Amino acid sequence: MSIATASPQKSADPPVQVWAIAGAVGIGKTGWIFQQIEQTSAPVVYFCPSAGNVPIDPTCLIAEFPHVQIFADGQELELIEKVEQGSIAFIELGFHLDLRSGDMLLDTLADRHTCKRIALVPSELTSSEWHDWADEVIEVKYDLNFQDLQIWRSPFTGQVFDPSSLNVLWYEITQGAYGEVTRVKGIFDLFDGRAFHLDFVAGMEDSLYLPLNVPLWLDGRPERFSGIEVSGRNLDGKAIAQCIIDCCLSEEIMLHYQNQIKQSHQQSRQVAA
Amino acid sequence: MKIAVMSCIHGNYEALDAVLRDIDHQKAEKIFCLGDLVGYGPFPSNVVEMVRSLDIPTTQGCWDEDIVEGLNSCECSYPSMLAEKRGRLAHEWTNEHIYPETKEYLAALPKVIKEDNLAFVHGSPQSQHEYLLPELDGFIALERVLSTGADMLFCGHTHVPYVRTLDAGKLRLLVRTGTEVPEAEMREFNAPLKRIVNVGSVGEPRHGRPNATYVIYDTDSDRVTLREVEYDYQKTCAAIIERGLPPIFAWRLAKGLEFAERADDASHLCERGV
Repeated sequence: MSIATASPQKSADPPVQVWAIAGAVGIGKTGWIFQQIEQTSAPVVYFCPSAGNVPIDPTCLIAEFPHVQIFADGQELELIEKVEQGSIAFIELGFHLDLRSGDMLLDTLADRHTCKRIALVPSELTSSEWHDWADEVIEVKYDLNFQDLQIWRSPFTGQVFDPSSLNVLWYEITQGAYGEVTRVKGIFDLFDGRAFHLDFVAGMEDSLYLPLNVPLWLDGRPERFSGIEVSGRNLDGKAIAQCIIDCCLSEEIMLHYQNQIKQSHQQSRQVAA
Repeated sequence: MKIAVMSCIHGNYEALDAVLRDIDHQKAEKIFCLGDLVGYGPFPSNVVEMVRSLDIPTTQGCWDEDIVEGLNSCECSYPSMLAEKRGRLAHEWTNEHIYPETKEYLAALPKVIKEDNLAFVHGSPQSQHEYLLPELDGFIALERVLSTGADMLFCGHTHVPYVRTLDAGKLRLLVRTGTEVPEAEMREFNAPLKRIVNVGSVGEPRHGRPNATYVIYDTDSDRVTLREVEYDYQKTCAAIIERGLPPIFAWRLAKGLEFAERADDASHLCERGV
């Protein structure tokens, strides 16, 4: 899936300080924001309304760009203040949200700053509520049926996964064992202290397996966010939840592995010294 | 003479029925079964009854042993925690649904059957739990066949069929002789051609399709033919759900995936002796 960047600004245009991004599931909204942040030298703030207790995109974003400040629901005033102070804001509207739900915040910001609404839209689509909403439409080659999708999501902060079991779980979810799946994304802590971002979009050949740029967690249950979000149809959330539980290490086994890894790291350091 | 060799039925009565019909069609004169009659599938007792009623010589599989002795899986079996939990569920379900006389029959099954120059085992002659994978070290593979005294070793357990020919079996051994002053002597042996035939699985294939597999061996032409048999696997899938087994077993069966166990480390040897 290739995504174009937004139209370059003409030098006479006032600089865009608030970007609102919307679009279909798995179309590349977060990827587009990543591209923009890479090219931005100003301080950046990010807000994903209704990410709730499963903030997968914000977690990935801050792992990649630790300087970005993330805001959650209820922190809209702080976000406005940051924009007042000169930060560039990216507001990502999930596909499941009513596009107009962000209007109050955007209208407030637009009173004093330049805002631009970007919609990433399937190229086959010629009119849609995204077209009506956006200042600029970016067409993306996209074959998925995005109508009437259901979302099942769950945090599992503190849980540590057996990697072989996680492979089976991921295969089964993405291949339709628990319902027809359009998109799955999640963050998983492993026994060796690493956290992984896994991402799947139906129709793509491979899933993304990306180690998150976060410190190794080898002291008990991780206190950082992990969780999963599944979008699709006829999803069997109860069965997914049971399978997740069956993939997680007990306290005893987790501590055993963590101690082994810490000892191994210690030995490596001694050899290096 | 044509003989049919099948293995790993795992309570899948529909698959067994289809394979027996195919064997009949192939005009095999004798059938051998390499165990794992039960476990995971919805009809363990019916499968055992069928095998018994046909008086099929059968070796004891790892699941047959575990149902009798209590779950005692070794680390040969489960590739993940999830697999182990699923295996445990299947074990508990089978244990609850199996008839006492079925257990007695499974308990009495031999671990190795020898007939002329052929040997039949579930996993390996060493253990029902040991996987003889096609990539297993040649020396160890040859040792496993030689230990039976046969030229051809039929096994199952991996659920993926293959034929492996062990030719040019020249063995060079460094033998220590002498008791007080250790001396070493190089000896060479020429092992005759040996073969390992893995017959796949009737009830739980792992080759990406739900079809049952077994093997026909023609003793006159020395020809091994792998048979893949289609059957109404949806009936088994429906029974898995109806009889209270985990629905994920049905999904995996339909995809031709293993239910839980999977061997992928050819260097791993089972430490449990027979």
